[in-house]
Amino acid sequence: MTIAVVVIVVIVVIGAGAFLFFGQHKPDDGVTSFRRHIDALSPEARREVIERVQNARESGKGK
Amino acid sequence: MARDLAIDLGTANTLVYMKGRGIVLNEPSVIALNRQTGEVLATGREAWQMIGRTPGYIVAVRPLRGGAITDFEITERMIRLLLQRVGVSRFTRPKVVICVPSAITEVERRAVTDAARRAGAADAQLIEQPMAAAIGADLPIDEPVGNMVIDIGGGTSETAVISLGGVVALEAVRVGSFDIDAAIQNYVRREHGIAIGERTAEEIKVAIGSADPVGDENEAEVRGRDLMSGLPKTVLLNPEEIRFAIDDVVSSIVASVVRCLAKAPPELAQDFLVRGMYLVGGGGLLRGLAQRIERETRVPVRMSPMPLEAVVLGAGHCIEHYDALKGMFMGVRR
Repeated sequence: MTIAVVVIVVIVVIGAGAFLFFGQHKPDDGVTSFRRHIDALSPEARREVIERVQNARESGKGK
Repeated sequence: MARDLAIDLGTANTLVYMKGRGIVLNEPSVIALNRQTGEVLATGREAWQMIGRTPGYIVAVRPLRGGAITDFEITERMIRLLLQRVGVSRFTRPKVVICVPSAITEVERRAVTDAARRAGAADAQLIEQPMAAAIGADLPIDEPVGNMVIDIGGGTSETAVISLGGVVALEAVRVGSFDIDAAIQNYVRREHGIAIGERTAEEIKVAIGSADPVGDENEAEVRGRDLMSGLPKTVLLNPEEIRFAIDDVVSSIVASVVRCLAKAPPELAQDFLVRGMYLVGGGGLLRGLAQRIERETRVPVRMSPMPLEAVVLGAGHCIEHYDALKGMFMGVRR
């Protein structure tokens, strides 16, 4: 009985430790964050939004 | 699940971009109310048609002036109605990015975000209009080169130099195309002795208004109320007198562009000569304006392909890449 309780406690502690270690969102470092910011502003990233509105505009004109 | 929204809350028009869908609403920023009960009677285009033509108990107003909220309660109601029209309810609370003038004060900033939250947004973030305009105008702002954008709206004109995803220099004036309309109204009243409405002044601007002489200039017949007799009267206006009437407003816009150029670092300033400056916003459509700015600054001026939608497009892009671009929101600085 005691062994079972100890095993359960150990499992819970290890589980909680693992959750805290792996579950925490590690903030991006400056370089990664800046790269992500710049990449999101690239013409390729913007293409989809611009084309979506351009297409809607053209189909609206065609009506 | 609500789709997140980007809103260009302009003095003249309000545009809404829905994530994954595109622009879902584009209407004048006008609301018509029953003066006695405070009940909303119409918004957008329907309310715009009522301006200056309402009986005593109805008032059609623009709750934003000079890019700022002049009536917090009415703005909140207008935002709530706009959000309802694009499918936002109390159960679907989207994230919202709102474009505001860069010169907005802390109080105005809080007023806009509070209005959006009370109107049903789960989270409201603000982005500076010139930054959004540069993203929407498809300028290479991810590169280390000088990009200059001039956004002329209904109540504000903003010029920004952008490089590597951030604002390098900025200059804003609370003057826009509504001031041009007001200048025309004042001129016609002063020189011709007739009173004309806001909408007639706008029609004159669109028909014969220009910032610099352009080819194909015609006269326009204008009808209004004679100030002496009170009777309807018609006068003929020519483009030259309209240029004279609006010159002070146009000069102040051009002066702010010059001040922004002067603020730009020399390394970026040389890029403008090659790449030019980009005009966005409804005010940028005034004939001869690009030519006038070009003449006074000696820098080429180009018109953005979608001048009226550029700002909301830029904010829409931020809502599509919310996590990567949240550093651009006002108050969330790196």
